[in-house]
Amino acid sequence: MSKMKRLKKGSAPNSTCAILFGIAFVGVFALAGCIFLIAFMLVNAPTETPVANATLDLAYSPEKESLMQEIVTRFNRANYKTPRGTAMTINATKMDAADIVEAARAGKFTAISPDSSLWLAQIDAGRDHALVSEATRFAVTPIVIAMWEDVARSLGYPQKQIGWQDLLNKARSDPNFKWSHPSTSSASGTLATLAEFYAGANKTRNLTEEDIKNRATLDYVSALEKTVRAYGEGEQATIDQVLAKGKSYLDAFVVSERLVIYHNSKSQTKLVAIYPAEGTLWQDHPLALLEQANLNDEQRLTFRRLRDFMLSPEIQKIILQAGYRPVDLNLRLDDPGSPIKTQNGVDPAQPQTTLQMPNAAIIEQVQSYWFLTKRPANILLVVDTSGSMGEQNKLGQAQDALSTFLDQIQGDRDRVGLVPFASSVYGTVTLQDIGTQRDALKNRVRAFKADGRTALLDAVAFAYDDLQKRGDKERINAIVAMTDGIENASSTNTNALVQKIRRGNQTGVPVIIFSIAYGNDADFNALNALAEVTGGFSRRADPETIRKLYKILSTYF
Amino acid sequence: MNRTRLIFFAVIALALVIVGVSFLLQQFSGNIPNPTAQPIAVRVVSALPIEPWVSDAAQKFNAEKRTLDGRTIVVTVTPMDSVTALGKYDRGELNPVPTAWIPDSRYLIELVNATQSEKLGRDIFLTDGEYRARPVVTSLFAWGIYKSRDQVLEKKFGEVNWKTIHDAAIAKGGWVELGGDPKWGYFKLIVPNPNKNAAGLLAMVSAAGEYYDKASIATEDVTNPKFQSWLKELMSSVTDFSSLSSYTVEDLALFGYSVGDGGQLLESDLLVNMGGIQTRWADPLVIVYPKYLTWFDFPFTIWMGPETSAVEKNAALLFQKFLLTTPIQTLAAQRGFRPVNTEVNITGADSLFKKYEAQGARVIVERTTRMRAPDRDTLNALRRWFDLNIKGR
Repeated sequence: MSKMKRLKKGSAPNSTCAILFGIAFVGVFALAGCIFLIAFMLVNAPTETPVANATLDLAYSPEKESLMQEIVTRFNRANYKTPRGTAMTINATKMDAADIVEAARAGKFTAISPDSSLWLAQIDAGRDHALVSEATRFAVTPIVIAMWEDVARSLGYPQKQIGWQDLLNKARSDPNFKWSHPSTSSASGTLATLAEFYAGANKTRNLTEEDIKNRATLDYVSALEKTVRAYGEGEQATIDQVLAKGKSYLDAFVVSERLVIYHNSKSQTKLVAIYPAEGTLWQDHPLALLEQANLNDEQRLTFRRLRDFMLSPEIQKIILQAGYRPVDLNLRLDDPGSPIKTQNGVDPAQPQTTLQMPNAAIIEQVQSYWFLTKRPANILLVVDTSGSMGEQNKLGQAQDALSTFLDQIQGDRDRVGLVPFASSVYGTVTLQDIGTQRDALKNRVRAFKADGRTALLDAVAFAYDDLQKRGDKERINAIVAMTDGIENASSTNTNALVQKIRRGNQTGVPVIIFSIAYGNDADFNALNALAEVTGGFSRRADPETIRKLYKILSTYF
Repeated sequence: MNRTRLIFFAVIALALVIVGVSFLLQQFSGNIPNPTAQPIAVRVVSALPIEPWVSDAAQKFNAEKRTLDGRTIVVTVTPMDSVTALGKYDRGELNPVPTAWIPDSRYLIELVNATQSEKLGRDIFLTDGEYRARPVVTSLFAWGIYKSRDQVLEKKFGEVNWKTIHDAAIAKGGWVELGGDPKWGYFKLIVPNPNKNAAGLLAMVSAAGEYYDKASIATEDVTNPKFQSWLKELMSSVTDFSSLSSYTVEDLALFGYSVGDGGQLLESDLLVNMGGIQTRWADPLVIVYPKYLTWFDFPFTIWMGPETSAVEKNAALLFQKFLLTTPIQTLAAQRGFRPVNTEVNITGADSLFKKYEAQGARVIVERTTRMRAPDRDTLNALRRWFDLNIKGR
């Protein structure tokens, strides 16, 4: 019995042990299962990925600034998201088409919209792998010669089809006729130049390198270019000047059809679009993705969303209202609400014929030979080196900007001189072909020291007299005057100088003054009065923007 | 309740809690990947003319969330010119390899097979059996010319064909010499860039056919200096080969007669753009069928290599069948294609063929001589000639 009790007593601890063992076993299993499950979930849980970037950096050409701002604002406001939930946004930057090419090749921007697809070929020229991809177009507009209606009628409009030859004849026979086209840094400038070479070669297709180099072609283009009043930074800048100054600024100029509509919507005096008889070319406003090394899939999705957005009926209607011909063929150009109509100086049935678009190499040749045929310039740079220029590194920035300007003047036949001033004019550099003295001019600019007072008017008068004495009517004669202060040391005053320039420009060679009011203390009114009387313009600049402004001014020569 | 039972129930409860918590965790943590539930990706490379229709169909197919072996099928479509795709297949640059390819024409498949047979000792696209290439729609080349210009050409030459177009192209005085309006300038031909669009290459083959008046063109024909000189004169009247667009009819519509008086283009492209051209340029387009017909049969063909799995191939087959269904074939007809599904007719009042009948569109084309597909060497010779003589102009 006692043995049994002992046994029973002994079995109880055994069963407790077994139960405890069982609990421990199950517990360990459950715990292990939990740990395994948690670990599995941790491993497979969505990892903390870096914040995806679905922002597209888009560069666009300046003539469509208001349109692009509206489209980009609407797009960003729509709050589109990628499937990963990243916000699709566009950072848009306005930039000259030629600068877009340079920036794209330097790895900047993930999308571009220049004014013409001719720039796309230049971006990819010489590259093993194309940078440009998924290109599409969303708006087109033909290049035209814009003229005041009375000027056009004097040439036979609307019965006669006017061409480049008529423009040349008019410019040769009428010394007061003023016309211009933008420099080749914009599509309209390049396309206008291409059209001149075609006309010079008496062709509308198959333009060859031999045609471009041919003496007769170059003579024709030179003769036409000699009648150009001044070039310019782009068609939007030209139309802004025309709007501000009216008929006195230009008689005819090359722009896109869309800007004729834009002008006529803002002015009582109407322009008409001349579609050159020989044929014209189109701006086709591409939107293209750039396959940059840092482009990611999210940005690619943003690009595609933007492309679809721009091709949507809603945006295509906005594009039509802005005066472009939309790519959506369902939108009629002859609808009552369409701005593309004869009342606005344009003709939806034109152009009847276009010129053949040559390959990128021929276009480059045209751009290069244009520098040999374009109207050469005499440019005097009037530069303030007074004591105040020493503040906030103004002089240093101006020196850099002047160097940029000198580098940008690519035609070696252009003549450039320097008229530095402080309390008086000092250390001038006489006008010489820039090809022979570019480095000397740069060294002289680098040696400037800030000191003395501001004899702006004397310096401008000095430069003006110099150009009048030369009396060189074959060239563009121009003064680029910059000051950061108020006139306080000259022997003349603003009114007297303005009168003198007005008289001189009527009796002698026409001189154009472009002036720069540098910093907040510059006398903008005096500078503007000097520029206005010559048909030039004044702009404000600061140490941040001075370089860009000088670069822009270089496109006028 | 004794201690043992207490412990027993505690263990059960603990186990239930653990299982329950695990279940909840699983529910709240989202989907734990299960490899067998991954979607089946069907990558389709499509020729440019039919890509909008194929993409549209893919969207509809995906929306139906069709499954195979319990897995959803997701179709993605990549537009690619067939000649470009041909080069990429040859160079092994299609990575990942597409599950299916829809080129412009069956002969392009034969060209890929020819190269792959040399490399692998077998065809990579099948011509018989379940996975054989099957046309999904058809279309053909036709002349699309602005009516005002066509009337002048008909009056001058009596007929529009490659030879008379060549004569128009070389007229020194341009349209004035041909009896047209001086404002029209020179005759301007529209031909797609052969490096961007297979139709450009086939247009040159078609021109060769009429030049020699035969339906089969060989390498010695296209390398003949007399023919090359004739072709160069013809191609020199093309306004813009550097154009951004591979869709030439779109250019014809957008820039009108200013860039092209006409050209031999895909009938479906012409039909879908007829309305837009009329709206934009007031001068309608007319369609003229050539003597030798170049057909495009857009075959759907499945890659038979080990780069794609059996389930992917079968999923591609399901998409192919979807493209052949009546509703999807009806959509193709609305885009100007000739459906291969005989249940879909193109003679109804809403058919583009009927709508533009007065402008020359025909449901049944009376001309019956079909241009034969050229071999690879002939095509390469033409491309080389184009690159050397026209591309760099």
